Amino acid sequence: MSSSFLAGARFEARMMRRDGAVWFALLILAGVALFALAMGTARIAAQQAAIAAARADETQRLSKLQKTLAQLQQGDAQGKPAPEPPPFRDPRNAAFMGGGPAATVAALAPAPLGLVATGQSDLLPPAVRVTTGSKDSFLFADEIDNPANLMSGATDLAFVVVFVYPLVVLAMAFNLLAGEREQGTLGMTLASARRPSASLAGKLAARVAAPIAAMLLAVAAGVWIFAGWERFATPGFAALLFVVLLYGLFWAALAAAVDGLGRGSAFNALTLIGAWVAITMILPAAINSIAAFAHPAPSRIEMVLAARAASTDADKSRDAALARYADEHGGGKPASAAGAQEATLRRLATQEAAFQRVEAIVAEHDAQLARQRDMADRLGYLSPAYLTYAAMADIAGSGEARYRAFLDRIRAFHLDWREFFLSRAKAGASLTAQDYAAMPKFTQADEELVGRPPAGLAGPLIGVALPMLLLAAFGLRGYRRAAPR
Amino acid sequence: MSDLALAPLAAAAPSKSRWRVMRAVAAKEWLELFRDRRLLWLCAFVVALMLGALAFGYVENARILSEREAAARADREIWVGQSAKNPHAAAHFGQYAFKPLSPLALADPGVDAYVGSAVWLEAHRQNETQFKQARDGGVGARLGSLSLAFILQTIAPLIVILMGFASFSGERESGTLKQLLSVGARPRDILAGKALALIGAIFALLAPAFIGAALALLFFVDRERLSLFDQFIRLGALGAAYVAYLAGFAFLALGVSALARNSRAALVALLAFWLANSFLAPRLATDAARAFAPVPTLLEFRAGVVQDKAKTFGHDETHPGFIAFRDATLKKYGVARIEDLPVNFRGLALRQDDHAGYAIFDRHFGALQSTFDRQDALRAAPGVLFPLLALRPLSMAFAGVDSRSQFDFATSAEAHRRDIQNEVSDNIIHFAHDNTYVAGPELWRKIAAFAYRAPGAGFALGYSLLPVAALVGWLALAAVFALFAARRLRPV
Repeated sequence: MSSSFLAGARFEARMMRRDGAVWFALLILAGVALFALAMGTARIAAQQAAIAAARADETQRLSKLQKTLAQLQQGDAQGKPAPEPPPFRDPRNAAFMGGGPAATVAALAPAPLGLVATGQSDLLPPAVRVTTGSKDSFLFADEIDNPANLMSGATDLAFVVVFVYPLVVLAMAFNLLAGEREQGTLGMTLASARRPSASLAGKLAARVAAPIAAMLLAVAAGVWIFAGWERFATPGFAALLFVVLLYGLFWAALAAAVDGLGRGSAFNALTLIGAWVAITMILPAAINSIAAFAHPAPSRIEMVLAARAASTDADKSRDAALARYADEHGGGKPASAAGAQEATLRRLATQEAAFQRVEAIVAEHDAQLARQRDMADRLGYLSPAYLTYAAMADIAGSGEARYRAFLDRIRAFHLDWREFFLSRAKAGASLTAQDYAAMPKFTQADEELVGRPPAGLAGPLIGVALPMLLLAAFGLRGYRRAAPR
Repeated sequence: MSDLALAPLAAAAPSKSRWRVMRAVAAKEWLELFRDRRLLWLCAFVVALMLGALAFGYVENARILSEREAAARADREIWVGQSAKNPHAAAHFGQYAFKPLSPLALADPGVDAYVGSAVWLEAHRQNETQFKQARDGGVGARLGSLSLAFILQTIAPLIVILMGFASFSGERESGTLKQLLSVGARPRDILAGKALALIGAIFALLAPAFIGAALALLFFVDRERLSLFDQFIRLGALGAAYVAYLAGFAFLALGVSALARNSRAALVALLAFWLANSFLAPRLATDAARAFAPVPTLLEFRAGVVQDKAKTFGHDETHPGFIAFRDATLKKYGVARIEDLPVNFRGLALRQDDHAGYAIFDRHFGALQSTFDRQDALRAAPGVLFPLLALRPLSMAFAGVDSRSQFDFATSAEAHRRDIQNEVSDNIIHFAHDNTYVAGPELWRKIAAFAYRAPGAGFALGYSLLPVAALVGWLALAAVFALFAARRLRPV
């Protein structure tokens, strides 16, 4: 590193140390970041409590069912049968129990760095009650929240990094050349350095290093205070620091590029504010609108209607089968027609029909949503803010990748769960105490995902790094051509 | 040459002269705004953005509306197409109620993506609305989408700030303020002239967007279902709210510009306020609202309902409530056995249980909405200082896309569910002679389809008194601040 660069950096750092406004801005930035991490901690605690409550509810339901089952079995064994419960409360009834009373919890516990970004976690509940029904009956249950809260969004670190942090970087770097020129000191600065451009680069480095270092320190301190130092060892933490660093450098490079044009402070300020508005607000909003316009999100209502239509079709087809049976057997009803088994078979037939139709429609919807998101992701390269926000959500485990993995696991588990109960229901077998002990369990996705590095970050990081390098080169060119007037 | 240069004004200028000063200052400000090419291009860009957002809103709303209408028709077909079955089984199968989209959602989508669009109306329970569109949007979608409201709420104030930050400080820096004051122009009149120009510019900025929205309404409003007049009243209220919001920014910009050391300081202070208003305040106010008025989790909410419902008998014939009702019914009809009743007892029991449930649902869902209302009030209260907090709920209310409108829809859907329950129970009471009774398509057809009529603009105003007061307070506060700053105006 050249001595001009170091001299410029040292001089600027000395100047900044004496500027109260700089300290104030850095303290505010660090304070807001710490506050956001504290809010993230509260959010994570609420998610963990929701999962714990869902599990406690499951335990309570199952123990109640097992107790009733034991009483029924004991009554049968003693020759004093207990009053027959209705089928929907009968713990022996596999068709009903798997559909609700014995439903199991599939949970997605917060990731180690969950406090960093809210992502989709406020919209997608952390615990889902899996039943034998079709997915429309359990997968879309929402946690209660005021819709206006959801719309406003949460104060999280991702918000601070994407929106607030660039403003502090820009405030430090927007008028390095312009400011010196307006104060009349640029000529002296250029004349006193062996390599003027290196000296200017050193000054810029000192100016942008302050907010970037403040942000990195606040992130590290916040993670340590609110989540524990062991989080430092996770691959996500290194990725987080890198994302924050790279995003800060992008804005610093943009400020240098604009400053390097050689215009005044007012021009720089207005241009950079315009760029900030465009990159953080207008482009992400436009990207979302264009993707939604090109590939509209499918209506989930269609899925419900298909399930309902399938149920009525199955009902009718069951009626037709019974009518055929009556015709072929001299008008008599089949022995089971009026019995519980007919009700069970009817229920299973409608459930199966709804399941098949919903599976097909969910697959279609997922494909359409994937097209929409792919387009948004591709367009996202137009806005480093968009890329950074998505990358931070992935690091926090509240992004699309982790939720997609969770939903895939639920899909596979749902099949196991249905097979367990429906095979018994179709065979007319009663659930036993052994069956209750052998019910499939959703393995803890969080245990498998802890410590796993967030995948798919390379693209977004390159998407931020490339424009940063181009802007930095442009800025350096401007510094080389810098003139006192 | 301006009128101001013709002759110095008398110390106690008559009102006619003061009006001349205001007009001349306003005319000069307008001229400068028009001469600033950068500002003109910026305004043109924002207008294009607003019109583009309206077009997006129009297309998106048309799609959603036709989707929901088709869904309502399809659900009706499914309902009437049920095979013969016990009416109570049909009530369990239920219907879906779909929320029709408010036409002004094309300008402000509000909370629409964050509330469900459909509610299942089934026997025995009131369900929450399902299928939030935002769930499907992905993480990036949380950064917002282009809408007229988004642009007017966040970008338009920035334009007003850019138009106004140098109003006084720029003149002070160029020396013209000294000249202006030296000819006897009163600071208050100069302020009024500059405010007139800025508010005129705000009208010019808003006009294309609101004319576009009015035209879109003409094409979009289903006049059989909604009153076009009511929609225009709503649009007018939105226009007034946005003018008040932006006019407040104009006064603030003028006040800060008058007090600031220089234009740069004025710009920095105004940008900091804009950032706090647009980004920090909504989030911090939401965090505070969540902390001071927490909502129950879904599990807690449902557990509360289940706990109360356990006091009713449902289908449990061993429940003390059931036995008491049975005995009271037998006594009322003067018979000893259920079989001797002239009506079907099961139907009576269902109706009795349903009515007991209605009170429970009203209590729980009402309490939940009250919590939402408290949160909304907490969020809107600081709107005097951070006007977006007052404008946003007001805009959503008049666009028919706030949580109160959603509650009105949910209440209406629940009323329809109760009609279905009452109808099927009555049918069982009067026609079912035994447990094998089934009803056919004539009953399914007799039960009407759900038809929601959204309330008028008065409803929106009734629930928006706090945001209205906060927004008026903001405008008044900003105007008083500008007057205060004008009194302390320094020529150099």
